This record gives sequence, C-alpha cells and structure tokens, in this order.
Amino acid sequence: MPDIRVDHLSKSFSGTKVLDDISFTVKDKEFVTLLGPSGCGKTTTLMCIAGFQTPDHGRIACGDDTFVGDRIDRPAEQRNLGIVFQSYAIWPHMTVAQNVAFPLRVRKMSKPATRARVAEVLALVELGALAGRYPHQLSGGQQQRVALARAIAPSPAVLLLDEPFSNLDAKLRERARDWLQELQHALGLTTVFVTHDQDEALSMSDRILVMNGGHLLREGTPEEVYRRPGARFVAEFVGQCNFLTGAVRAGPDGGAVLITAEFGDGIAVQGRHDGPRGTIAVRPEDIEISSGVEGGTEASVLHASYLGDHYHYRVAVGATQLSVHSSRPLAPGPVRLRIPPGVATFVD
Amino acid sequence: MTIMTERPPDVVGPAPPRARWLPASAGQGLVWFVVVALVVGPFFPLVYSSLRSKPIYLPGGTFTLAAYRTLFADPLFWQAVRNTVGFALGATVLAVAGGTALAILCARTNLPGRKAYRLLLIAPIVIPPLGLIVGWLAIYGPGGYLTQVVSTNLHLPVWNLSSIPGMSLLGAVITIPVVYLTVQAALAGTDSSLEDAARSAGARPWRVITRVTLPMLRPALVNCTVLIFALCLEILGIPLFLGAPSNIDFYASYLYRSWSSGANPDPAFVSAGAVLLLVVVSGLLILRARLSGSEQRFIAAGARGGGTYRPLDLGRWRWPASIGLGAYIGVTCVIPLLGLVLMSCVKALTTLVAPWHLFTADAWHTVASDPTLRRSITNSLLIAGGGGAATVLLVAAATLIAHRSGFPLRRTLAPALIYPRAVPGVILGIGFFWTYLMFTPGALVRNNLWGEAIALCVRNLTLAYVVIYPSLARINAEFDRAARSSGAGWWTVARRILLPILRPALLAAFVLMFITLLGDYDPVVFLQKPGTEVLGVTMLQTWQRGVVGPVAALAVIQVVIVAIVLLLGARVLRRLRRA
Repeated sequence: MPDIRVDHLSKSFSGTKVLDDISFTVKDKEFVTLLGPSGCGKTTTLMCIAGFQTPDHGRIACGDDTFVGDRIDRPAEQRNLGIVFQSYAIWPHMTVAQNVAFPLRVRKMSKPATRARVAEVLALVELGALAGRYPHQLSGGQQQRVALARAIAPSPAVLLLDEPFSNLDAKLRERARDWLQELQHALGLTTVFVTHDQDEALSMSDRILVMNGGHLLREGTPEEVYRRPGARFVAEFVGQCNFLTGAVRAGPDGGAVLITAEFGDGIAVQGRHDGPRGTIAVRPEDIEISSGVEGGTEASVLHASYLGDHYHYRVAVGATQLSVHSSRPLAPGPVRLRIPPGVATFVD
Repeated sequence: MTIMTERPPDVVGPAPPRARWLPASAGQGLVWFVVVALVVGPFFPLVYSSLRSKPIYLPGGTFTLAAYRTLFADPLFWQAVRNTVGFALGATVLAVAGGTALAILCARTNLPGRKAYRLLLIAPIVIPPLGLIVGWLAIYGPGGYLTQVVSTNLHLPVWNLSSIPGMSLLGAVITIPVVYLTVQAALAGTDSSLEDAARSAGARPWRVITRVTLPMLRPALVNCTVLIFALCLEILGIPLFLGAPSNIDFYASYLYRSWSSGANPDPAFVSAGAVLLLVVVSGLLILRARLSGSEQRFIAAGARGGGTYRPLDLGRWRWPASIGLGAYIGVTCVIPLLGLVLMSCVKALTTLVAPWHLFTADAWHTVASDPTLRRSITNSLLIAGGGGAATVLLVAAATLIAHRSGFPLRRTLAPALIYPRAVPGVILGIGFFWTYLMFTPGALVRNNLWGEAIALCVRNLTLAYVVIYPSLARINAEFDRAARSSGAGWWTVARRILLPILRPALLAAFVLMFITLLGDYDPVVFLQKPGTEVLGVTMLQTWQRGVVGPVAALAVIQVVIVAIVLLLGARVLRRLRRA
C-alpha cells in the first residue's frame, strides 16, 4: 500500500485560517493519529485527504497519485479510500450486507465475487450472523463495525477514521480500540485517525500529530510526544502536566538545570535550552512525594482525591501548586517532594 | 478474537474506481436549465407582448406603451383595483386574526379536542378550492339554501355573500390554514418557558397571551400578513363565481373577462395588467423576505410538541371555545360540502319544497354523458397523476442539486423553485400562452394537453420543493460522503442513497401535487381549448353558462378523488415509515 504525503496544506473559511501550512507523511502500513481539540483543523485535514474539502494551497498525494495540487482535484469517489465517519453514516434503507456490498457494486464487481467478499469482510468484523439486519436493529458497537467493514470491503489504499469511537460508551470504546488496532495490523492498512481523545491517540498510534489552531505542533511516536511534548499546549493536551519557570543554568553531562525560588537546588532537565530563563514540564506521576523528613523539598498536601488506581494530590511548594500522582496514601500536611533528574523537559 | 491475516486468493479487491466519461455536472446542468427555463422563461414573452402594438403572431407591430395607456384609461380597471384592495384588506385582517387565535387555542391552551382540531383546521388546504366556493354558494350564496331559510322562511334581514365583505369572509376561510400553519410553526419554534416564566410571575392566561405570546409572534404575523395580502390580490375563483351576480370584478377576473370577451382577441393590455400585478406581488414578497428570517420562508407543520409544557388553562371557557371551534369547522367546511352534494342531486335549490321531492340524477347523468365534462375528469386525472409524478422527480433532482452538490449555479435553484408559487396563476398562464405562441417548441404543446400540464406543474412545483427540502435537510450529509468515498458518483449517490431515504417525502410531495393539480385552474384559463378541458376551467365555464348541477357534481367528484388519494397516500406512507 502506498504512503500519503501532505505538503504545505492551507485552508481558510471566510477569512479564518483553519489550516496553516500543514505538512506530514503517513508511511505504508502506518497508523497515524491527528490529535487536537475541536476546531484545531484535524477533521478539515482529513476531509481534504478524503476529497470533501478543497485546500486553498498545498498538495496531497497517495503514492504516485496526486489527489490535490498541480491543478488537479480528484473527486472523492475516485480516490479509493475507506472512511469511517463519526456518525458511521450507515445507510438506513439498506441491510448490513447491502451496505457493505455498495462500494463493491459501484466498482462493478461480479455478483458472486461481491457475495464472497461481503461474507469475508463481515466475518472479519464478526458480524456474519447479522448480514440481513437493518441498521436500526444494531447496537452502537455493531454499527461501528459495519461502517468499518464497508470502508475496508473494496480494499482501499488508505483507511481514514473520523472520531469513530466518540459515540461509544467508555467500556465498549476500550474494547473497540484494541480490536481496531489488531485489525489494522493484521490487514496492514495505512490509516489516518482523527481524535480529540489522548488515550485513544497514545494507545493506538504508531505516530501522533498534535494540532492546534490550524498548526502542526508536534509529531512523533506516542512516547516521544508524551515524554518530550516540546510545546506547552502539547504537554497540557496530552496528559496532565505541571509547569515551572525559572533560570536556566548549564548542568553536568551537557544537560541543563532549572532554578526556581522553590527549587533552589535546581531541577536537572533533559535537553538543551537557549536563553537565561525557561519553562519545564513535569508529569504528575514523575514527581516523588513521601511523608519522610529527609531529602527533597519541603511541601504540603493541600487536597487528596482517591482515583482507584492512584491518589491525586494537590501539593503546595512555596507559592507554587503542583499536581502529583502517587500510589501511596498520604495525609494532608507536610511532606517531602522530589523531581528526579531527567523527567522534566523544556517547553516553549 | 481471530483475524485472518491473509486474504483467500480467490477474493481479490476490485479495481479502484475510474473517472466517468461524462461528468456529473452535465446532468446537473441539464436539470438546472430545465427548471430555470420553465420558471423564468414565460416572463419574457409576457413582458414583450405587453410592449408591442400588435399581437406577436401578427406581422408588423412596434414597441409602444399603448397597452399600459389603454389599461389606465379603463374605468373598469380602476374599479377592479379598488375592489381587489378592499377585498384583500378585509380577507387579510380576518384571516390573520382568526388563524392566530385558532393556532394559539390549539397549540397553547387546554382546549378539549385540540389534537383533532389541529388536523381539521388545515383540511381546507386539501379541499379543491372551486368545490369549497361552489359549496358556499349552494348554502350561503344569494340563492343558497340557508340564505333562503333566513330570508324566505324566517323573513329576517339576510347577508350578501356576493358583496365585498361577503367575499372577504370566504377569502379569509380559504387562507386561514396558511396563517394557522405559519403561526403554529412559530409557536412550536419558540421556547414556551418564556410563557411559563410570565405565569410564575403571576400573570393570568389572557395576560400571558397578550403580553408574551403575541409579541413573540410578531415576526410570524407580519410575515403571513404580507403573504395573505399577496395571495388575495390574485384570487380568480371568488370574483368569477361570487362576484358575477353583483357585477363585482377583481384584478384577476378583470384580466380574464377582458381576455375572453374582448372585441379583438388576445388584447395586449391584459399582458400589461399581468406585468403590473407581477411587479406588485413580487415587490410584496421581496418585502416579506426582508421582514422575516430565512427559516420562516417555509410553512412547516411542525410536529414538535411542547414536551413537558403545561398548557394555559382556559377555565370555564374550555368547552364553549371547543364547541365554537367545532361550529366554525362545521359552518365553513362540512355544511358547504354537504351543500355541494345536495346541489348535485336536486332539480332546484329551494326551501319551499323538501329536497327529496326534487331529487334528480340529471346532473350526474350529464357528467356521465357529456363528452366535454367526462374529458375534463380524465384530463385532470392524467395531469394530476403524470404531471405530479414528473414534477416530483424533477423537483427532487433539482433539490438535491441545490442543496447537496457542488454544481456552480446551485444557489440559484432554490429561489427558482420557490418563485412560481409566488407568481399569480393567471399571470403565469398568460406568460405560457405567449411562450407557446412565440417559440417553435411551444407549438408542439399549444394544441394538446401538454401545454396545460406544463403550466399547472410549473405553477405548483414549489409545493413539491417545500415538502422535499425539509426532509432532505434532515438527512445526515455523512450519508452522501460515505457513498462518495465508496466510489459512487453524484448521480449514483442521488439514485441509490438519497432518493430511497427520501421515499416518504417523495410520496407526500406527490400526494400534495396530485391534489393541487386536480383542483388548480388559474394558470390554464387562458390555455384551455376544445379537447384539452380540465376540471377547474370546465366548471368555471359551465357555471358561467348558468348550468349549476353538473358543476356541483364535478366538484363532488373532485372532493371524492382527493379523499381517496389522501387515504391511500396515508396508508402507503405509514407502510413506508414502518419499513
């Protein structure tokens, strides 16, 4: 299967720039997620790839095929893509089998071959028994799988997923996530996935592209994006984060040290930073707190909430408040707090 | 779970879809052209003929304003204008006041039987207009049954339905459903918690209605006042049937009479009069569009109930109000329809002899034997069935292009689909008359039923649009996109996805078109020729010859056909919805 190349994509709606010079590549068999809040341009990007919106500038190509650019704008129906829409868009007047057969029939596939392929794809999504049902007789999870079966039935070049889990309840969503990921790997489908849910993005993607305000802010594997968000927005949007601003000094081993009023000894930060002052991001689960009296900085627990698998503490260090996750129960009051070297990272 | 990692070798994905040899926009352009040509086309010959010194089929002739001068010099024209304005003012005031009261009673109070009344009040929309007029004449007209009871038997002073106030009353009865639907839609769209707030502040029901409900309705009321006034300016049936005994002409009947009884045929000043009326009505409707928001362009019978809304308590007026409403429906619709049946089966309408002594099947016999009358029924059925189906198909395609395509000129389609119904029917009729004369393709349809069918269908295609568009707007646009991304071109999406989902709306549009085409007549009064009779015009012409019984019989037939079609339509619709 080919890769998708998006070059310098820009689009405005009545004067507002919704996409500002977006470029990225989705490699063959890769699962790439466009992550961002609503209105960040992720769906617009997807719809430009699908052919339902025409970018003002830029180029989109799939393998050797130019979809958009060089004065070409190939209609959506000739792009050979499979799309799962947010609403699933399963046609209510057709049965499950008819829905799945539709893309095959418009491609003039023979009747026996269509029947065989529909059966195969429905078996793949474990809906073989429901082929004769109408959409309103299906549960939300089943509808989603019909939508997926219909999208992959004609063996599309690329699979596009537009928030396909947003209409499922939390438990079902987790199951559907695992299942979709397995399927994607098994079929080796090049996939572009749009979501505003960081958990989905982190757990499913080979690579994540974080978008905001029409810009591409960060690109990388889930771990890279989570560990080294680069931008403050990314750090906040992907997981929770504490931010500390202070003076930057050179540290040992070519690293840096951030010094604030609360952390006079300095916090060892991975990576380099130009300029005398900087801001670092620290994940709540990376901060160590204990009820002991030795080591670390003096702090006090202001508020504790129990979240099942961990406690969430609001901790005051001097004038600063930090979020800390810990599996250990602690009573409100004085504690010791420590930010281990290497867990903090500079953000813009 | 298990996943097949390898695809069986015999099942290979099909080839990716290829570009089509003819782009979708070619077909879209064709539909666009047909709609725009049909809707806009007739106006050019109309204006042209009003500016020529001779009818356009005669050689010679120059550009001149003589037709307008002739029109303005005719005292009868000015009399007709005065009559029309008086009638329109009276009917508009009555209709807006009455329709608003009915809508508030049914939508916001605890009136007993309000659910049934909601349906019954819009019934006049489906009763053929001429049937209602003839029924009114049979009962309340100068020689009508009840009029005779009051004047001859009871020796009481009696009303005159053939006066301008009398005709205004009937005009209001005919237009009240339009007001009722507009106001009801506005009420369904406004938040009833505003009224609840007034009640919790201590206001009594009457105060809530006058201080909160009515002010909230102001945009809707202004909107339908202008609409009703414009509708009244073009009414033809009322002056022809009711005004004739008192020699009262309205604008439309003045044009019709001048046309059919003028010394020289096809007088240009009739075209001039039509152009003037077109300008006035278009101006009013532009004003209306300015005054009201874009959503209120459509009269929709909103089924949205108030949810948990607790209706205003009418107190001890509950039952009197309900009985009054029932009496209103009885007096305005049920009794006239019975009068219609009576009129078709008696030798003469008189209260001096009991009707069963006067029973005769003559009128029905005439309808069965007279080839003209019989032909008018079959012709009308042909136009209603064939024309209705063709119109629904064309309008459905045009609606999809207007709202679900990337066709460059799509935005011009919605106004083109709304405009014909805004144009007075007689004007459209005169326009088509000249169109058929001027253009060679017109000659193909001039002397057969096609010409009349086209005029009637174009005049009423707005109704199909008004039914289809709201249903289309409710269809998720991702349905189209899913089909497009599956490889289907625009026309395939329309044929395989959108039209099947729209089936109930298409059927409803067809039923409405059928009923309207069966009863409509004003666009074809200038087009009818021997052999191409349709029901409405035949009734009009037969009535003018003084033959009453067969007209009533034709009207009864019209009502019965409408009732059958409505019942069948409702049954099929229910089955479609269940599927």
